[in-house]
Amino acid sequence: MSFSSENADRSWVAQRLPSKEDQAGLLVLPGLLAYGIFMLYPIMYLVFLSFTNAGGAEDLIRGTYNFIALENYSRLIQDGQFWTSMGVTWLFVFVSVVLKILFSVSLALVFTHDRVRGKRYMRALAIIPLGLPPVFTITVWRQMFSPARFGIANEVYISIAGVLGRNPGPIGWFFDRWLAFMSYVVTELWLAYAFMLIIIVSALQDVSDELHDAAKVDGAGYLQRFIHVTLPAIKRPVWFASILTGATSFQQFLVPFIFNNGGPSRSNEFILLYGYREAFQSPPRMGIGAAIMVIALIFIGIFMWINVRKGQLAEGLSEQ
Amino acid sequence: MSMSKNILGDIKDDVVHGAKAPIRAAREVVETVRALRNGDVSYREVGLTAGATLGAVLLLVVLLFPLYYMINVALAAGTGAASLYQEGFFASPSEYNLGAFEWLVQDSGFFFDPYPGAAPTVGWWEGFMSSYLANSIQLVVPTVAFSMILIIPAAYAFSRREFQGRKPLLYGYVLLTQVGGGISIAALIAIYVVFNQLGLLNSYLAVAMLYAAGAIPFNTWLLKTFMDNIPESYEEAAIMDGASRWRVVWEIILPLAKPGLAVVFIFVFLAGWNEFILAQILLSADKHPLSVGLFSLIDEFSTPWGQFSAFALIYALPVATIYFFSQRYVESGLSFGGMEG
Repeated sequence: MSFSSENADRSWVAQRLPSKEDQAGLLVLPGLLAYGIFMLYPIMYLVFLSFTNAGGAEDLIRGTYNFIALENYSRLIQDGQFWTSMGVTWLFVFVSVVLKILFSVSLALVFTHDRVRGKRYMRALAIIPLGLPPVFTITVWRQMFSPARFGIANEVYISIAGVLGRNPGPIGWFFDRWLAFMSYVVTELWLAYAFMLIIIVSALQDVSDELHDAAKVDGAGYLQRFIHVTLPAIKRPVWFASILTGATSFQQFLVPFIFNNGGPSRSNEFILLYGYREAFQSPPRMGIGAAIMVIALIFIGIFMWINVRKGQLAEGLSEQ
Repeated sequence: MSMSKNILGDIKDDVVHGAKAPIRAAREVVETVRALRNGDVSYREVGLTAGATLGAVLLLVVLLFPLYYMINVALAAGTGAASLYQEGFFASPSEYNLGAFEWLVQDSGFFFDPYPGAAPTVGWWEGFMSSYLANSIQLVVPTVAFSMILIIPAAYAFSRREFQGRKPLLYGYVLLTQVGGGISIAALIAIYVVFNQLGLLNSYLAVAMLYAAGAIPFNTWLLKTFMDNIPESYEEAAIMDGASRWRVVWEIILPLAKPGLAVVFIFVFLAGWNEFILAQILLSADKHPLSVGLFSLIDEFSTPWGQFSAFALIYALPVATIYFFSQRYVESGLSFGGMEG
């Protein structure tokens, strides 16, 4: 909106030059510049780096590197580790997103259920994990999966096995590929459920009571009402939250980094960790690392685009 | 300022309301018992409600298990259960001690670094200035300041003014709100090289600026949506009364946008306090903030878990507290992301 309407009879050129009204754009400029300098410029530099054979940062400062066009990319395609990283990252995205949706929707249904008293306070407590620093959460979970006999994960595992009449020894959770992967998924679930819970709960609260009552009168059971009344109403927010949280899973770096550096023997090295390791290992290979990061950024960009398009955020934009 | 007073007032209301919850619950129980006696409600109804509530409480207990396990371990430092030498999740309360917290204050480098720069003895001020906490503060304060300075005017302009390129810019910001942290990790290599070339390594201000820049798209968009909800009629009335545009901003828009400002403040504070990877790469060891300090503890096998837990809890405490009491603002901030199409 604007308060003046002095652009009524300006010439074509004058209309396209910044006018007095556009002064408001100056308010946006500092933030834009900061973002451009600190985020967009490094990203462009990253693309440039990915076309070079730069080793460490010293190479770049002294200029001792060559332009090698797409060689980094073609080398990546032939590198087994690249495909391992890509595969395990996408597997993580799918497994964790499916579990996140199931888990968070169930939690939201419990914490909004009519029969549960004090659900508002329970919800307030349930979303505490969202307010904890990720480094805190992830280091705590690393300790929970301690290989010690009396580590938490081992105690739970051994007591469950005990109930089933077995007597296994403690597990080294991070030394087995799929157990380590599973520990990542559990941790990711705990990191993400609070965010999903907030979004799904506020969607559930928008589901009209009349519809539920009408369905009840028609003799629909809980499951039927869930499928025909609740689900359609929360589908869009859940979808939206899933893409967002899927993007987060794709970008998961801290969990493998803090748990066991993507081990054992690089089998769980997610894509960002892979790029990081290549760039900062010794000897550093910044060129290859940059190429990996550029590929990751392309996928992140696709996530952003899908969400804005399908989440119809952009529609809200054009209304104004 | 009246703004902060109002927010504190809201928080106080929440706390008082929450504190009275047990009273309300007790009243409800009494009412229910009376209704049962009079036969107004069936036992089945009450049983179902009690069962459902109990189930939800159990679920909550499982969800938050890691948290109170940590608290227990921190309080039971040095005991068998806390050191994973003994069966059972919890140490017995008789074994509780504050050893871990003593260590935290005196030797951990959290509040005081006992040996800054390997100097033998120093005053408490020098000790504090080289602690992780001091480093974190020096990082967070400029992060918040830069972010607010950059975000507030831009959000206002997006919400209330028309200018060339407004729509495409806004579209770009919306795109960038969808993924935050990953971009800076992906760009980490280039950021490191650029900082290296410009001589910005080890500068708190430069890293703070980086955090602020990363926080801009999401928080600008967030604050803009808050401002959009302020009715234009207020401004029109003020302008009719002869108020200047800047006065309208200062006296109408900003005060009415205070929940939005609070949310943005919290988010940029969290961005500075929680961030770990950039700080670890871009700052030297003597400038590392608490997040990096916590990570460095788990690699030292000599640090017992009780002390680690104490460090972690005190590191997370301010953030969790602020977050917990500002939930209603944060929720309204997040629900924008989900709902408003």
